[in-house]
Amino acid sequence: MLKYGGRFENYFSRHHVTHIICSNLPDSKIKNLRSFSGGLPVVKPTWVLESVAANKLLSWIPYQLDQLASETKKQPKLSAFGFKSGPVLDDLEESISGQAVPQSGIATLRTSCSLEANIFGKAECTEEVEECHSVSDDPFHPNAAESADQAPTYCMENHCEVELDAAVVVQSDAGYHSHISPCQDPKSDHNDCLEDHIIEESSSSKTIRPSTTGHSTLSDANFVENYFKFSRLHFIGTWRNRYRKRFLSSANGFKDMNPSRNAFATSQKTTIIHVDMDCFFVSVVIRKHSDLKDKPVAVCHSDNSRGTAEISSANYPARNHGVKAGMFIRDAKALCPQLVILPYNFDAYEEVADQFYDILHKHCNKVQAVSCDEAFIDVTDLRVEDPELFARAIRTEIHETTGCTASAGIAGSMLMARVATRIAKPDGLCYIPSEKVDDYLHELPVKALPGIGHVLEEKLKKKQINTCGQLRLISKESLQKDFGVKTGDMLWNFSRGIDNRLVGVFQESKSIGADVNWGVRFNDLNDMKDFLLKLCKEVSLRLQGCGLKGRTITLKIKKRRSDAGEPVKYMGCGDCENLSRSVTLPMATDDVDVFQRITAQLFGYFHIDARDIRGAGLQASKLESADRNMRGHEKYSIRSWLVSSPARKSSMAKGKGDQLYSDIGPPVQARGSFSGGEAYVAHRATLPALHDLDVGVIESLPPEVLSEINDLYAGELISFISKKKEKNAGNNVMDEEQSLSNPLVPPNKDFVHNVAEKIKSSEKEDEQYINKMIQGLPETSGSVTALLPETDSLMPSSLSQVDSSVLQQLPEELLADVLESLPAHRRPDFMSNDVYLDHIRDQTGAIDFLPSNNLWVGNPPRWVDNFRLSSCQLLNRIAVLYNKSSPRGQFSSVLQLIMSEYPLDDGGDDAVNCLCELMKQYIKLKIETDVEEIYTCSCLLRRLTSRSELFLQVYNCIIPHLQAAVGETYGGDLNICFIE
Amino acid sequence: MERKDNNQAKAPQGEAARILTEFLEVAITCIIFLKGVYPHGAFERRRYMNVVVHRARHPQLRDYIHSSVNGLLPFIQKGLVERVVVIFFDNEDFPIERFVFKVNLNLSYGSKVEQSDLEFSLRSFLIKLPVSESLTKLLPRGCRWEITAYFRALPEASTSKDSELIWIPTDTKQWQQPPLITPIKSMNSEPLGVQLYLEHPSLSEPKP
Repeated sequence: MLKYGGRFENYFSRHHVTHIICSNLPDSKIKNLRSFSGGLPVVKPTWVLESVAANKLLSWIPYQLDQLASETKKQPKLSAFGFKSGPVLDDLEESISGQAVPQSGIATLRTSCSLEANIFGKAECTEEVEECHSVSDDPFHPNAAESADQAPTYCMENHCEVELDAAVVVQSDAGYHSHISPCQDPKSDHNDCLEDHIIEESSSSKTIRPSTTGHSTLSDANFVENYFKFSRLHFIGTWRNRYRKRFLSSANGFKDMNPSRNAFATSQKTTIIHVDMDCFFVSVVIRKHSDLKDKPVAVCHSDNSRGTAEISSANYPARNHGVKAGMFIRDAKALCPQLVILPYNFDAYEEVADQFYDILHKHCNKVQAVSCDEAFIDVTDLRVEDPELFARAIRTEIHETTGCTASAGIAGSMLMARVATRIAKPDGLCYIPSEKVDDYLHELPVKALPGIGHVLEEKLKKKQINTCGQLRLISKESLQKDFGVKTGDMLWNFSRGIDNRLVGVFQESKSIGADVNWGVRFNDLNDMKDFLLKLCKEVSLRLQGCGLKGRTITLKIKKRRSDAGEPVKYMGCGDCENLSRSVTLPMATDDVDVFQRITAQLFGYFHIDARDIRGAGLQASKLESADRNMRGHEKYSIRSWLVSSPARKSSMAKGKGDQLYSDIGPPVQARGSFSGGEAYVAHRATLPALHDLDVGVIESLPPEVLSEINDLYAGELISFISKKKEKNAGNNVMDEEQSLSNPLVPPNKDFVHNVAEKIKSSEKEDEQYINKMIQGLPETSGSVTALLPETDSLMPSSLSQVDSSVLQQLPEELLADVLESLPAHRRPDFMSNDVYLDHIRDQTGAIDFLPSNNLWVGNPPRWVDNFRLSSCQLLNRIAVLYNKSSPRGQFSSVLQLIMSEYPLDDGGDDAVNCLCELMKQYIKLKIETDVEEIYTCSCLLRRLTSRSELFLQVYNCIIPHLQAAVGETYGGDLNICFIE
Repeated sequence: MERKDNNQAKAPQGEAARILTEFLEVAITCIIFLKGVYPHGAFERRRYMNVVVHRARHPQLRDYIHSSVNGLLPFIQKGLVERVVVIFFDNEDFPIERFVFKVNLNLSYGSKVEQSDLEFSLRSFLIKLPVSESLTKLLPRGCRWEITAYFRALPEASTSKDSELIWIPTDTKQWQQPPLITPIKSMNSEPLGVQLYLEHPSLSEPKP
C-alpha cells in the first residue's frame, strides 16, 4: 500500500486521514459513528487490496463496512462512479450545515488554501476529534514499530487510516482525485507528520496534484496551468482550435465543391439541421453509467461542502428539480437533495466531441461548428428526400457511438433550426417547415432569439415586448431607431424567422488569450508579476499552438471594488471593476519575453494594489499566421535583401564620388558616423557592415527604400554615404577599403595582447572586439606601418593611433583603463604627417559627427567621450574641462572654465562643426526649460569670440539657430547680436 | 475610488501651485519695488524664504497683487496658465517692458513635492531679481503697470464659476515686432519649472 502512496497513521488526525479501514467495529462505535470516524468513510480492507490490484482508486462505496452500509441505507447511494460524495459525507454535510457554519468559516480562513469537502466535514467535528483520539489511540500504538512493508497487511486487520496517493487517482480518472485526498496546508505537512507519526503522502504526489492543495494564486506555484487544466470554459475555448486542426481540410473541401453556393442558396429552398447534444457536459460523464441516467446529476468543478461552486451543467432530471447551470451547489442541493455532483472529464469530452463531429462530417460536408457539442449542417445540396429521416439517422448514430443523446432541429434557416432544436430538446427532433415558422415564432419569447441578451431583453421588456409576435408589430424603422441600425435590423428579421446567415465555414478566432478570475489573490506585486509571467507563457503557448502571432496585446485586470467584501463564491472575484489596457506592436509576436515586457508595462499603467486584484486576463488580437508572418517578413524586409545581395566593396563608388561631391556642398553637412557602442554592435549581428555596402548601389535606391535601410542602420547610412562622398572627393591617398574596414590598430601586437589580458576577465563580447583588433593587425597596410617610427613602448605612441571605433566598443571601465595608459600625444611630430592626419580626421569625424540628437544623452553625456577621443586638442581639453566643471551637465560652466584657459588653439573645421552640433543639441535640450542657461552660454561664447577665431565661427554658426529656437518657443529674439 | 486616486495624484501639483502663487505674489511685489513705480516708502522689508524681500504697505496695492495671483491658483493647478506677466506701460498705454514668468507644471508628476527643494529653487529668483536692475529700462514718468496671465487654453466655461472671473483685456496695444528677450532666471524642480525673462520692444519696433 505504501508503494502506491497510501499512508498509515498511528493517530487519528482530521488532516491526514481520509479513510478508516477496518473489518469489524464494536457496537458502541457503530452507534456513535460520527464521533468515531470524524465523518470519514469507514471501509473494508478489501478496498485497498482491490484498488491496488486494479491499479486505480476504486470507489470505496461498495467496500463500505457492512454494519455501516445497513446503517446508512436510508441515504441515497452513489454508484461506483461517484467517487467521493459518499453517503456518510452527505449525511454529515446535511446534518452539520446548520450548526457548524461559523466554525467552518474559521477553518477556511486559517488555512489559506481551499479546503475540500473531506476536510470540511472533519473540520466541523472539532469536539468529536478528541474523543476520537482516545478511542483510536490504543490500537494504533503498537503500529509505530511496524515496518513499512508490513503496514498494508497490518492496516487490513486493524483500524487504521489510509490515504491513497493522488497519483494513483490521476491515473485512474480525470480530475476528481482532488476530493479523495484531503487538502493539506503544504507548510504544515511536515510538522504534523512528526507530531502525529502519520505516514505522509510522498512528496512526489504533491507535485502531481497541485490543484488540490492550492486553490489560489497564493498557495499554488502552478496555479495558472492547473487553472486551465480544470476549466470548462477553457476547454470549450480551446476546443475550437482543436476542431480547426482536425476538420479544417474537410471544411475547405465543401467550399471547393460549391463555388457558387450563394447563388444556389437563394434559388433553392435551404434545409438546415441544427444538432445539439443534450446536456453535453453531464451526459458525457455519465454515459457509461446507466444507473445514473435517470438520477439528477450535475457537473461541477468542485464539490466543496461550502457549496459555493457553480454548477456548470445539469441533466434533465436535475433540471426538473429546478437545478440550473450557474447555480451554487448549496442552492442546487436545497432544491434537489439527492443531486449527484460529478467532476469534469475533459478527455471524455474531447473524445465525444470528436466522435460527434466525425459523424456530422461523414453525413454532410457543410458543417458549421458552433461549439464542441453543437453544430449546424446544411443538407440543401444533398437533396435529402426526407430531412427528418436524415436527422434521425444522425441522431441514432450519435447515440450509438457516443452513448449520449442529441437533439436536432430542422428548418429553412439557421435561426429556425435553432428554435426547432429548442423545442425538440431533450432527445428529440423537430421539423419546422417554412409555412409553420410564424406559428412557432409567435409565442416564442424574445430571449430565445440568438443575439438577444439580458440587456436587450430588458430594453424590450420596458417596451412591453415579450414575444416575437409582439416584436413583429414594430416597424423596422422604429426598431432601428431604438436599438441601432444593425440590432434593429436583426430584431426585425429574426422576429420574422428571416435569417440570411449561411452555414459557413469555421470562423477563425479573432483573439487568443487567457483569463483567470477565480482564485486570484496576491500578497504583493512580485506575486502579481510571477502570475503575469505565467499568463504570458500560457498565451504564448496557445498562440504557438494555433500557429498564430498577435499584434495587439490587451491586459485586463479585475480590481476589487473598495467597498466589496470577500465574495460569496469561494475564491471568486466578487464585485469588481474591470480595467483594461492594450498596446499594439509594430510586429506580431508570440514570444514570451515580449509578452512579459509589454504586460509589465501595461500593468504599470494601472497603479493598483496587488491585494485588490481579483482577476487578470491577457489577450492577443490582430492575429497573423505565424507562417505568413515569417514569409512576409522574409519577403518584405529589406534586411534579407540586403544580406543576400552581394556586398560589393566600394571601389566602384570612387569614381562616382568625385562628381557627386559637388552636390553635397560644404563638408559641414557631412556628418559621418559609426555611432557609439551597442547600437552599432547590435546591427553588426544582422546587417552587413556599413563599409561593405556599395554606395553607388545604395544611392540609386528609391528614397523610401533608402530610408528604410537607413533606419536599419540607426540612421547612420545617410551620414555614411555623405561621408564617403566627402572622402572620395578629398585627396586621400589611402585605399578606401582599408581606411574604412581596417581599424587603425597600432602595429604592435604586444599592446593588443596586453589589452587582451586585461580584458580576459570581462565578458565574451569584449573578447570579440579584441579578436577583431588582432585580426586587423596583419592587414594593417604597409603605408601605416611605414609611417610609424620604431618604438620600444608597449603602448601606441599616440591616442590617435588607436582605432577609435574599436575603442568605442570597449566597455566603459576598460576604455578608461586603456586611455589612461595612453599618452595623450606622445609624439606631436608624428601628427604632422598630413596623410595620416587626414586619415585620422576621417575616423574622428566619423565619431564626432553624431547625426542624431543624442550627444547629450547619458552621464557623462556622449559628447564627452567623443571629444576625449578626438584628434583635436581643443576638444580633448573641453572634455577634460567638463569633468572639472560644476555644476556638472551645464555647458555654461564648461565655457566658464574655457575662459580661464590660455592659450586657446584652433582646432580646424572639424572642431567647429563638433562644437556647433554640440551647441545646437544643447539648445534643443534646454530651450524649453532653461533659457537662462542658453543665454549664459551664448554670452560666454560671445566673450570667447574675442579670444579665438574658432569660437567666433561657432558663435556665428549657432546664433541663427538659437534665435530661431527662441523665437519658436518664446516668440521673441534673445537679446544678443552677431559679431562681425 | 477612482476619483480619490485622481485627487491623490493631483496633490503634488496642488502643492506646487500653492507654493508658486505665494512666490509669485512676493516676486511681483519685488519687481514693482525694483522698478520704482512707487516711492520706496510704500514698501516694507520682510523676510521670505530667508531672503530679504519687500512687501507693499498700501492695502490696495497689496490686495491687487494678492487677489490677482491667487485668482490664478485654480488655473495654475490645472496647468492652464502658461505665463504670468508684469507689464509696464508708458503714459500712452504702450508696453515698455514685460517681466514674464513662464510656468510649466508637470501634471503627470506623481511623487511627493519636496517643498524645500522647490523653495530653494524659487529663492534664487528673489536673489537674482534685485541684481538684474541693470537689464531693465528706466521707466518714464506717468507709467502704469498690470498683471496679466496668458493661458494655454481658455478654461471651459461650464467647468467652473471661476472662469466668469476671468477678464480678457481688449484694445491693448501690442508690439509689432517680436520682442527682445533677456533671460533672468530659470529653474526646474519637478513638478514645477519657472523661467523669468524680460521682454523689451525690438530695436526695429516702430516708435509710437
